[in-house]
Amino acid sequence: MSSAALETKETVAGLGEKYKYGFVTDIEMERAPKGLSEDTVRYISAKKGEQEWMLEWRLAAFRRWLSMKEPNWARVRYPAIDYQNAYYYAAPKNTPLKQSLDEVDPKLLETYKKLGIPLHEQMALAGVAVDAVFDSVSVATTFKEKLNEAGVIFCPMSEAIRDYPELVKKYLGSVVPVTDNFFATLNSAVFSDGTFVYVPKGVRCPMELSTYFRINASETGQFERTIIVADEGSYVSYLEGCTAPKRDENQLHAAVVELVALDNAEIKYSTVQNWYPGDENGLGGIYNFVTKRGDCRGVRSKISWTQVETGSAITWKYPSCILRGDESVGEFYSIAIANNFQQADTGTKMIHLGKNTRSRIIAKGISAGKAQNTYRGLVSVYGKAENARNFTQCDSLLIGRDCGAHTVPYIESRNPSARIEHEATTSKIAEDQLFYCLQRGIAQEEAVALIVNGFCKEVLQQLPMEFAVEAQKLVGISLEGSVG
Amino acid sequence: MTVALALPTRRVEEWKYSDLARALGDVGFGDDSAEVLAGPVPAGVEVFALDEPNRPDWVKAHYGKLSANVVSAISLAKARGGIALRIPKGKIIEDPVTLDFAGKGHVRALLVLEEGAALTLFERCDAAETRNAGLEIVVAPNARLDHVRISPVSGVVQVEEVSITLARDAFYHGHFANFGARLSRIELAITLDGEGAEAHLSGVSVLSGDAHADVTTHVTHAVGRTLSTQLFKKVVGGNGQAVYQGKVTVAHGADGADSRQTAKALLLGMRAEADLKPELEIFADDVKCAHGAAVGDLDSDSLFYLRARGIPEKEARHLLIHAFLEDALTDVTNADLREQVRGAVSTALDQVAT
Amino acid sequence: MLDIKNLHVTVAGKEILRGLNLRVDAGQVHAIMGPNGSGKSTLSYVLAGRAGYEITEGSMTYNGENLAALPPEQRAAKGVFLAMQYPVEIPGVTTMMFLKSALNAQRRGRGESEMDAIGILKTVRKKAAALNISEDMLKRALNVGFSGGEKKRLEILQMSLFEPKLAILDETDSGLDIDALRLVAEGVNSLRAPERAMLVITHYQRLLDYIVPDRIHVLANGRIVAEGGKELALELEAKGYEQIVKDAA
Repeated sequence: MSSAALETKETVAGLGEKYKYGFVTDIEMERAPKGLSEDTVRYISAKKGEQEWMLEWRLAAFRRWLSMKEPNWARVRYPAIDYQNAYYYAAPKNTPLKQSLDEVDPKLLETYKKLGIPLHEQMALAGVAVDAVFDSVSVATTFKEKLNEAGVIFCPMSEAIRDYPELVKKYLGSVVPVTDNFFATLNSAVFSDGTFVYVPKGVRCPMELSTYFRINASETGQFERTIIVADEGSYVSYLEGCTAPKRDENQLHAAVVELVALDNAEIKYSTVQNWYPGDENGLGGIYNFVTKRGDCRGVRSKISWTQVETGSAITWKYPSCILRGDESVGEFYSIAIANNFQQADTGTKMIHLGKNTRSRIIAKGISAGKAQNTYRGLVSVYGKAENARNFTQCDSLLIGRDCGAHTVPYIESRNPSARIEHEATTSKIAEDQLFYCLQRGIAQEEAVALIVNGFCKEVLQQLPMEFAVEAQKLVGISLEGSVG
Repeated sequence: MTVALALPTRRVEEWKYSDLARALGDVGFGDDSAEVLAGPVPAGVEVFALDEPNRPDWVKAHYGKLSANVVSAISLAKARGGIALRIPKGKIIEDPVTLDFAGKGHVRALLVLEEGAALTLFERCDAAETRNAGLEIVVAPNARLDHVRISPVSGVVQVEEVSITLARDAFYHGHFANFGARLSRIELAITLDGEGAEAHLSGVSVLSGDAHADVTTHVTHAVGRTLSTQLFKKVVGGNGQAVYQGKVTVAHGADGADSRQTAKALLLGMRAEADLKPELEIFADDVKCAHGAAVGDLDSDSLFYLRARGIPEKEARHLLIHAFLEDALTDVTNADLREQVRGAVSTALDQVAT
Repeated sequence: MLDIKNLHVTVAGKEILRGLNLRVDAGQVHAIMGPNGSGKSTLSYVLAGRAGYEITEGSMTYNGENLAALPPEQRAAKGVFLAMQYPVEIPGVTTMMFLKSALNAQRRGRGESEMDAIGILKTVRKKAAALNISEDMLKRALNVGFSGGEKKRLEILQMSLFEPKLAILDETDSGLDIDALRLVAEGVNSLRAPERAMLVITHYQRLLDYIVPDRIHVLANGRIVAEGGKELALELEAKGYEQIVKDAA
């Protein structure tokens, strides 16, 4: 670990930046006119070559959105967002749908390479298929053929709408309804791309699937929509990574992710969210308002969310599980790090509807600098959820005098056979642990990274190997300058 | 004084599990004033009826200053009567002083413990009438208050806010036994305002039928080196609904704040409900704060163990339910009051089909 | 190697060390004995550089260098090792990973090249076996769930791994039964070397039966009040601290 931390530190020092993904790709862009109106929605739909049904769906969402209010219950403070002062569609020019990677603009390939994500299949990490989303469009998807052989659909959302309309119609909005919340409704109106995954009955997806989201254009929001459907008895592990350039302005990211697990199916969804967090003075950074929800629709289905949230100026995100099928299982493993002026309000909802449903929540929050970090979670057991079980462990670590750590769990039980346990602690980084490391020769920043990684271990272990190493490094980097 | 007199609905976050507007319906609380009587008042304790003119300085200094929530604001605006008590400096009162709340409508009470004073306060409520009470308590340096409140089963809406400020080295212990009402809410707003101040809260709820009981606490560690503990236990039978919302705030710079919070519920009725929301809001780093919450039924291993040793199931269940409540009962300091609470608990448990 | 002159140290505004003088040369083992509250642990912490221990007067010179000017990790890299009375638990960080991180951090601090993971693993395994430390312990989180004896043995393992020049053992005997004590003492004795100095801090004479010191200093009220050879320990055991302190006054 420590050598990993050191290596990362050196890499970062070499770049002269704490946020090493802060570069901008200079590429010619095509954008929708600034602002948001029915015309914007029509523009996006037309760009995507969508059929009438999809446009109508979007327009209905947009009209609904006009009557909705931005939620204000989360512990995040930010100036009013001017929804008219942004672009809702931005795509690199000359990127019609690609047949092969050779046709992709080399500048884009270079961008992803710089982000550590080689898109050339021969260079790619063995066993990981990648969908690369650049601003509003997917620019490359790897290993499609290999996945096709297994019957797995892994493609950009815009392609799925065109090629698999029946599947999309069946599942789009079936977990997160169009009317769900302000940001989800906005997304429904203007989403431009994202990833669609369908794993057929009985198929164990032969490789990890992943999407790398990159915001590049200025004054542009990113609104992606992801759907993952695991049919009966199937299994899929999906990972997403997010980065954005350093900019003084705040940019909006409002995604919607819908997961559906049918009988005996399992979906493992991992996120390393490293959107630009803003600078030491709180200038710039991404506003990350995300709705993620999984529906354990079938018996003995399982959905597991793992997230490492280190980026964004504001994080508003509650990946949830609806445990509808009997004996279904929901899991939420989370690390949320907020440093400098970052604000994070994140957690989960476990809705127990079926019998013998189980859920587990492990949330680790780390606050440093002047940041505010809130865990907000709901465990709700409905009357018919006999023998439902939940265990929640929620720990917060404070580094420095000026940050805040908040824990807001809601526990609701309406079934006497259900059992819910919740534990939470808040404390500062232990002075005796730091001193012990120092006495053994480990320098301050490395000691902090070591202790915090230890604190987070239960969650880090849930990540697929390639991500776990990356995430460990990220933990160290995110906390640089927080002590001393 | 202008106050927004709208009653909260469940869309107001703090009243999410207790829809006061709905429970009261169109009539609301009305404009009546309820009453509160203090008994036996030992020599040296100053009593002032709040409907009298010419309030003494100590009443003027503290009345209406601590009240926090919107419903309490309504009682401040509308209550015409109530009582204020002052325990003078250094006065230690051994026998409990009782406050009896009765009648319909709004009522206020104020209790001031001056430096080094000590008192045991026993608070009772008549169950018949809809009531909105507000009690403000000022505990000066080194003073100590032991407070026991029993609210009996009631078919109407009964709401009370107790707001307390604790100065340096002041000590408060409160126990809240609550047996439910159509809507029952006790809200405790406690500020630890001086170093060395301690607040210890405990409580039990035993609910049956359609009873609802909401205990909401907000403990603020305004300064460092302060301690708070909370232990609330609920047994919910029938269609009962037990609510616990406990928020602990540690202010910026309040180093050395220590807070522990436990809330547990046993659900014994097929349609019983428990809603627990233990909340931490921490703005200082040198703190130790923890909370735990659990909802479940009786532990089947324990039940089996007792039965295997020959104890019939019904008796074993009773035993385990009493055991579940016990640690929240034992810390009532005054033995007489502790037995009163136990008696009320036993009576209530008889109503819970176990 | 270590030269402490007229050292005054305050902790939270209270003066604990009040003019302590001590000199330890390479190759020697010195014992510091003293009653509770005499300042023994303060001495070990101030030597290692723990925050909150303020030097108000006097000096600590280590191999000609002002020790007080160095941050704790640099002291460690330069060979100052403190075996702690209460080794700290660090959840989630495996013992092996910690050993690797610390060893390489010290090597970097001295401008040496890092050791590779396999090399470290081999060395650690060999040294661990001698101290009866199982492979399983090395895989567990640092000190978490370790017994008192296991924690102390792990401290000695680290001492043996880091090869310090000045080893300070703070109440290493506390909480050990006789077998564990013997094991730990053997570990310490095997590390006695001409280039290494040791400062053994203890309340009881018992440990000194196993680790025989060259010199004993009695610490009381923040000062050295008596000094002598190893026979002083027996005298202390017979008479008690109170009498010795009185005699010295």
